[in-house]
Amino acid sequence: MNTRKFIERIGEKTIDAIEEVGYHFSLLVESFYWLLVGPFVKQPVRLHYIFSEMMKIGVLAIPVVILLSFSNGIMMAIQGIVTLQEFNAESQVVPGIAYSVTREFGVLITAIVVAGRSGSAIAARIGSMQMSQEVDALRVMGIEPVRHLVAPIIFSMLVMMPILTIMADSAALIGGGLYTGFVLKLSLGTFIDRCFDVLVVYDVMQGLYKSLIFGVLIALVACSNGFSVSGGAEGLGKATTRSVVMSIAMIVMVDMIFTYFLSR
Amino acid sequence: MTYLIEEKNDYLVVYLEGEVDLSCSPEARRVILDCLQKQRHLLVDLSGVSYIDSSGVASLVEGYQVSRSKNLNFALVGVSDNALNVLKLARLDQVFPIYTSIETLLQGGS
Amino acid sequence: MVVESESTKDELVIDVQDLVTYYGTRKILDQVNLQVLAGEIMVIMGGSGSGKSTLLRHMLALNKPAAGAIRLFGKDPNKLSAPQLHAIRQRMGVSFQNGALFNSLNVEENVAFPLREHTRLDENTIRIMARMKLEVVNLAGFEKLMPSQLSGGMVKRAALARAIVMDPSLLFFDEPSAGLDPVVSADLDELILRLRDAMKVTIVVVTHELDSAFRIADRILVLDKGKVLILGTVDEVKSSDNKRVQNLLNRKSEDVIVNPDEYLQRLTDDLAGL
Repeated sequence: MNTRKFIERIGEKTIDAIEEVGYHFSLLVESFYWLLVGPFVKQPVRLHYIFSEMMKIGVLAIPVVILLSFSNGIMMAIQGIVTLQEFNAESQVVPGIAYSVTREFGVLITAIVVAGRSGSAIAARIGSMQMSQEVDALRVMGIEPVRHLVAPIIFSMLVMMPILTIMADSAALIGGGLYTGFVLKLSLGTFIDRCFDVLVVYDVMQGLYKSLIFGVLIALVACSNGFSVSGGAEGLGKATTRSVVMSIAMIVMVDMIFTYFLSR
Repeated sequence: MTYLIEEKNDYLVVYLEGEVDLSCSPEARRVILDCLQKQRHLLVDLSGVSYIDSSGVASLVEGYQVSRSKNLNFALVGVSDNALNVLKLARLDQVFPIYTSIETLLQGGS
Repeated sequence: MVVESESTKDELVIDVQDLVTYYGTRKILDQVNLQVLAGEIMVIMGGSGSGKSTLLRHMLALNKPAAGAIRLFGKDPNKLSAPQLHAIRQRMGVSFQNGALFNSLNVEENVAFPLREHTRLDENTIRIMARMKLEVVNLAGFEKLMPSQLSGGMVKRAALARAIVMDPSLLFFDEPSAGLDPVVSADLDELILRLRDAMKVTIVVVTHELDSAFRIADRILVLDKGKVLILGTVDEVKSSDNKRVQNLLNRKSEDVIVNPDEYLQRLTDDLAGL
């Protein structure tokens, strides 16, 4: 009996998960439909909503992203120099930092900050709209909630994530450069020069591609958790937490898969 | 909706006809505001109007306010029962000067 | 009813036929039939769990029926393309139970919202229209307040103003008097009647308040456990000799009859040592 129940539970959870992925996908397709086709069927995605989302998702996140990336750059320099000293190869710290920041850590930190800041905020906002029937109100007014609420967020993510990632890359390189310069008596200018010597466009682009995917992931997870809120204030809290945990987990896993394929 | 503009004494008379709804109230608004732009007293005759919605009434409200700021006269005539109901709902029957016909207005009646 | 609308009196605005719907495996609505005629005020009554809110969601085309059909203005919303459905929805106004005002917009912006989304009217016209509707619901002077600053009754009136801003020909109310004191609730009923008379709008009200239902209804539909208990005029409902209807009218709770064996089983199910 218990084994059967257990297997049943696994089956149910699997179906739920598949349903959720399907729902994410349909949100994505619908958002692109409204972004591209909306203006021609008199249901445009409003510019001022896009701008306000860009502000909330992107501009307001700049200080945290820069601060964390700068610190991360310094940490990587510290660890890198300590490790490389064992092989008397301290000077190799520059390409080490340059590669891992642009390919990996710049975008990862950006994504985690955005997931924590905006993912939770979006899930909470859409969730409370769902609870107070504002989403139903939109629907009965003949306004597609996906067009009105989700499409501006997806669009803003696609624009702001790469910009934030470039800022994060720069802040981390500067942080790493300052520390390396301090320890190895290297000027920041030389450090940056040597970074550019080793980096090719592909390295930076690898981070930017990922930033697009992570941005869309955060938006879809946050929106779908928001729309599926039920059960009052407690449900709202759960959905908010779930959206942050789920998007960060997905980001790290997707990142791993990406890295595997892109870095070979 | 169709419209016709005529001169009577000091007044320009705008005859609106048909349905004044969301699709044609912008035109009604433009006609009314254009007449007031010419610094002319204005009468809007609604006797040919079969249906007027809130956007039509809003255009009348704007016209009336513009006429007041320009010290021009503005009045409604031939308001059907249906239209009067719509005006009454928002208590606008207490705002607009409403006359039964153009003649009563020109003779100074009510 | 007013005499002049005699010609349109038989026009069907909503036609619900043999509607069946489930929540999970639980049957919520069972073979519900309802015809709402143009210009009438139809009140849907029933206790909580009777399925009245679900029926409303079907009439708003928010839920799809498991069986049976629904027609709004002669068309099945579940078979329409998105633009056709939007066109129908622009002829409908809905006042939700808790208002469902957009919290990020002030009162005037809330009321003007459908106009800004659906029309290309001049900004002046839009704002005058929004303020006219606020005047209709006696909320003049509260344009700039945010929804969170309004009292319960004011929220309902603002929601009503938003529901009627496009001059709908079909208007829905979900529990207009829930959570309001009797005086405010009576005011709102008065307003509903005035709207019907001035705008010739068809109105569907979902409520569990008897007083309110009797004040405004032309006809009443009473739902009980997903089935139609009675559908008729106020007098017909009042004089019905159906026991459940009378219980509902006299606010008497049902005597619950239990099956002793099942009941005992329910109480002791899953217990250790039994």
